[in-house]
Amino acid sequence: MLGTIYELLRNLFKKPMTVRFPHESIEIPNGFRGEHYYDIDKCISCGLCSKICPNRAIEMIEMPEKYKEKYPKSYPRIDIGKCCFCGLCEDICPRNSLKLTKNFFLSTFDPKSVIKEPIKNDMD
Amino acid sequence: MRKMREKNPTSYELLFGPAHPGSGNFSVRLRIEGERVVSARADPGYLHRGFEKLMEYRNAMQNSVLSDRLCILEPLNWNLIHAEAVDELTQEEIPEKAKYIRVLMVELSRIQSHLIWYGAMSMGLGFDTGFKLAFGYRDYILDLFELITGGRVYPAGYICPGGVRRDLPDSAEGRIRKVMIKMEEMLQRCENFETTTILPRTRGVGTLSLKDAIRLGATGPIIRASGLKTDVRRDDPYEIYPELDFEIPVRREGDAYARCMIRRQELRESINIVKQVLDRMPKEKLKPVKPKLNQKIPEGEVYVRNEIARGEAGIYMKSTGEDKPYRCKIRGPSLLHMIPVLEHLLKGCQIADVPAIYWSLNICPADMDR
Repeated sequence: MLGTIYELLRNLFKKPMTVRFPHESIEIPNGFRGEHYYDIDKCISCGLCSKICPNRAIEMIEMPEKYKEKYPKSYPRIDIGKCCFCGLCEDICPRNSLKLTKNFFLSTFDPKSVIKEPIKNDMD
Repeated sequence: MRKMREKNPTSYELLFGPAHPGSGNFSVRLRIEGERVVSARADPGYLHRGFEKLMEYRNAMQNSVLSDRLCILEPLNWNLIHAEAVDELTQEEIPEKAKYIRVLMVELSRIQSHLIWYGAMSMGLGFDTGFKLAFGYRDYILDLFELITGGRVYPAGYICPGGVRRDLPDSAEGRIRKVMIKMEEMLQRCENFETTTILPRTRGVGTLSLKDAIRLGATGPIIRASGLKTDVRRDDPYEIYPELDFEIPVRREGDAYARCMIRRQELRESINIVKQVLDRMPKEKLKPVKPKLNQKIPEGEVYVRNEIARGEAGIYMKSTGEDKPYRCKIRGPSLLHMIPVLEHLLKGCQIADVPAIYWSLNICPADMDR
């Protein structure tokens, strides 16, 4: 019983184990598996990322007409809703055009926003 | 709650789970007379995902990502079993450092799994401080997993066929040592509470004799608490376990208290193993394993077994020479603990003892339903 009271008193003067999240957060280490970063100019359209993806979250798509001249091949479209963030696509990419970043703020109410097109904007 | 017979108002059926906090996706139907449980019937199947079939459609690297999900509470241990099964089929040489990293990660995973158990057990006994303490300290280990594997809970096949997916970062060793000091401090704090909380609720409750434990197929800490000294790490050593020096705790009582104490001692042993592995870790840099497509697995069949936090786990794998396994049968330790052992122990106990017995078995619905 004395041990319990001692523990109670000790806890009154200790800093909490948690941090006040929106105001401060713990440091995210390098190599964290978060949202994808994709560089279309480095991509060689090999399609390995879409073949290794265990959840079939990556689909190789053709670009719309206005980009077709510059990017004539097929490029990965990532469905983050299906992704399990295993990072196999990052590891298999021969040109490092696909990388996982530290961004983990991915919750959304908009189902369209979870699909990452090869080029941002005007893809509809 | 449902009344069994109109004539006898004290006899009814009670469902423990699946909506009970802490029971997991699992339920037990208890037939109760007054305060006494007359019979218990386990009701599994709420978490069936069909892993054995899913694995037949994926290659070895994709399967190692999938093997995380076999048991949410100890994904790295399941990674290791899957990786060992594939390695034994391909006869690939594993680098020495990769073996050390594998054992290090598996033991860290065992510690965090036992901490979850401590938290759930404390919550079941109405000891909320223990729950908060255990889950708070578990987060220090999750920080280590985040640093080493890139994810807090799911390592995404960190231990994969051929070694590990990346080398340990330079800062890892110092941080692991610091966390181990914190773990020892936590164990010390838990021991202070033990006589007032855990001991009175668990001593003499749910006694499992050695004869029954063998008959019902208990493994791991549950059979060790009934008096049989057995551990796959000693009996059928894998990775670098033969070089390490550790004790296998055994008790003879077989009650819920003995099972709790076995896990408490195992936590200490795991901390020792982590320290030994860090001392002996080779210094050279390790080449990470890169995923490959169309990597054929030679024809053959293999059964690999490992000691995980809940008991003995195994994978039987058959390959017909393609890149995907022909058949993959998974043996989880929880199935036998959750159905025959739990039903046997609950029969005849008091209704207030049900949580203490349930959580003393440390069962995981995910690895049972698969």
